Amino acid sequence: MMKKQVKMGILGLLMVIPSFLLLFVTVVIPIAVSFKESLTNKEGGIDLSNYKFLFTDKLMRSNIVFSLEVTVISVVIVLIISYALAAYMRFNKGKLVGWIRNMYMIPMFIPSVIATYGLIQLLGNHGWVARWVLLFGGSGIPRIIFDMKGIIIANLWFNIPFTTMLLGSALAGIPDSVMESAKDVGAGKLRIFTRFIVPLTYKTLLVAVTFVFMGVIGSFTAPFLLGPNAPQMLGVSMEQIFGVFQEKEQASALAFFTFLLCSFMGYFYIRSMIKEEGARS
Amino acid sequence: MLSKKSTLTLLTVTTVTAALLAGCGNSNNSDTANAGASNASTTNAGSNAASADPTAQQVEFSFYFTGSENVKNLWDTVIPMFEKDHPNIKVKEVYIPSGTGAQPTYDRILAAKQAGKGSGGIDLYEDGLSNVTQGQKDDLWETLDPAKISNLASVDANTMKDVSNLAIPYRSSAVVLAYNSEKVPTPPKTLDELFAWIKSNPERFAYNDPSTGGAGSSFVTTALYDKLSEDAIHNSDPSIEKEWDKGFETLKDLGKYVYGKGIYPKKNQGTLDLLISGEVDMIPAWSDMALEQIGNGQLPDTTKIAQITPGFNGGPTYLMVPKLSDKKDAVNEFLNFVLSPEAQAVVVTKMHGFPGIELSNMPQDIQDSFKGVAEGFRTFNIGDLGNEINKRWQSDVAAQ
Repeated sequence: MMKKQVKMGILGLLMVIPSFLLLFVTVVIPIAVSFKESLTNKEGGIDLSNYKFLFTDKLMRSNIVFSLEVTVISVVIVLIISYALAAYMRFNKGKLVGWIRNMYMIPMFIPSVIATYGLIQLLGNHGWVARWVLLFGGSGIPRIIFDMKGIIIANLWFNIPFTTMLLGSALAGIPDSVMESAKDVGAGKLRIFTRFIVPLTYKTLLVAVTFVFMGVIGSFTAPFLLGPNAPQMLGVSMEQIFGVFQEKEQASALAFFTFLLCSFMGYFYIRSMIKEEGARS
Repeated sequence: MLSKKSTLTLLTVTTVTAALLAGCGNSNNSDTANAGASNASTTNAGSNAASADPTAQQVEFSFYFTGSENVKNLWDTVIPMFEKDHPNIKVKEVYIPSGTGAQPTYDRILAAKQAGKGSGGIDLYEDGLSNVTQGQKDDLWETLDPAKISNLASVDANTMKDVSNLAIPYRSSAVVLAYNSEKVPTPPKTLDELFAWIKSNPERFAYNDPSTGGAGSSFVTTALYDKLSEDAIHNSDPSIEKEWDKGFETLKDLGKYVYGKGIYPKKNQGTLDLLISGEVDMIPAWSDMALEQIGNGQLPDTTKIAQITPGFNGGPTYLMVPKLSDKKDAVNEFLNFVLSPEAQAVVVTKMHGFPGIELSNMPQDIQDSFKGVAEGFRTFNIGDLGNEINKRWQSDVAAQ
């Protein structure tokens, strides 16, 4: 009996090792290398000067604040829209639902550079929207691209489909019987939503938050092409520091800081996953 | 018939395996890729050699170059012309698309030298000024001898002196003002006139973020060096940095008057797009990009280009011969051809570049087409200071 368990254990380890090695080579080592590099100062010694630069330089500080603002706003709007879409598709039937179901994934199949240029054509100063507004007697539109709004709109385009898909599958997993029995004992719509639907999809919601957060904070194409010259998002700033200014150490510090932000999100995600696993066994 | 669950498991297993295989491949793919590339090219060369005269002693040298598609098109035209005249020399083109690895090429030459392995199989290399000066420090480039390359005589002697005869500026393009001639009947002639125009026509001028493209960078550099002494543009000593203050003041002040009250599009194409859509009337742009886009109709016919005096930055692209290459005779022969009026005409017609040799050596019609544009640009040779300019621009001008 014991022997079989040992065997199973070894098999399990063997199956984990490849993915662990892959992770080790492609993720752990690069992070360790850039962490070490981020601690190297101009004279080649080791100290925190690069991190000090991140948080004391006026420009860098505004970049960090700007990135967090964009990320938080994007996450909130993406979640609201995606949840509404997913819930609408789950609890309604009809032609419109069919249309949404068929179409909401389309943005996922359009390369981000093309989508970004599309947005520039659409929302630019002389873009489609501005021309229509002029045609109907308006006096032009406020600045959308080369501004925070442009980045947020692009983030919505990139993130809503996947998030809707995630939440949609979670909502599909709620059995009708649960809601029907709740209705039978007199629960109102709002009550069903807050007491049943939200708690039952909470886990997926957390996963969605993590994905959107990481995707947005590390984004490059859209902020590079649509964003303002300053402040910049972290990805754009990192590229500039690394590729143009060629300050490898500062870029590493910024990269490591971004990694910390993401792992902070990842921590909550993993903790809730572990909790669930624990509850099951 | 598989159940849903086992299909899923199967799918997962396949994916994991695929990922694994990809991962394993990664560890040594650089070697195999290189081997593959060199194999492919040797077989190519072999078959070509067989079809040519088998008795002649054939020399093959490798030519590494980088750039956009137009650079590749240029060489794809010039090299066959050369090989037709010189059946005993074969040029092996190694094209590295821009952004994917010009730096590694330079590093390869340097590494090969440090390892005592000659020139690393790279016999001719094309790049911008920064790598010419970098290679000068690392002592990588061969000093070019006019006795061996007779056409060197037709290259501007001052430009050759700028690079200590280590590199051939075989083509160049300059930054010019591209403007909508319907809205701007008389373009500014000097930088001061340009500043005045920008201020009296708010939001009708744009220059791109200098760290993302040479056109904007040239505008910024020209503004910074406006009132400085003439030889400042050949000075790469950091002590000059404090003299930039006035220029940055001017640029900061201009911020209110440029497109979107301080929006600097990314990349050289970013401002060209604004000119195309009519959002601005004047931009600094690379002559070759502007001329090409006027030629193919992307930019309206009313677009014209003009140079100011003293001119914007013009950037030659250089050819360098690694010192340790063992095929220098063949390379010299090729370089001589590249500097011939015949090959230079291709530079002009294929990519709207300025010829690397002095215009007086070119056919009359080409001389005429460049009147007023190919003249008057200046070559800035300020080394690493360009990075400092970008950094300060980002904090002083972009984030004001």
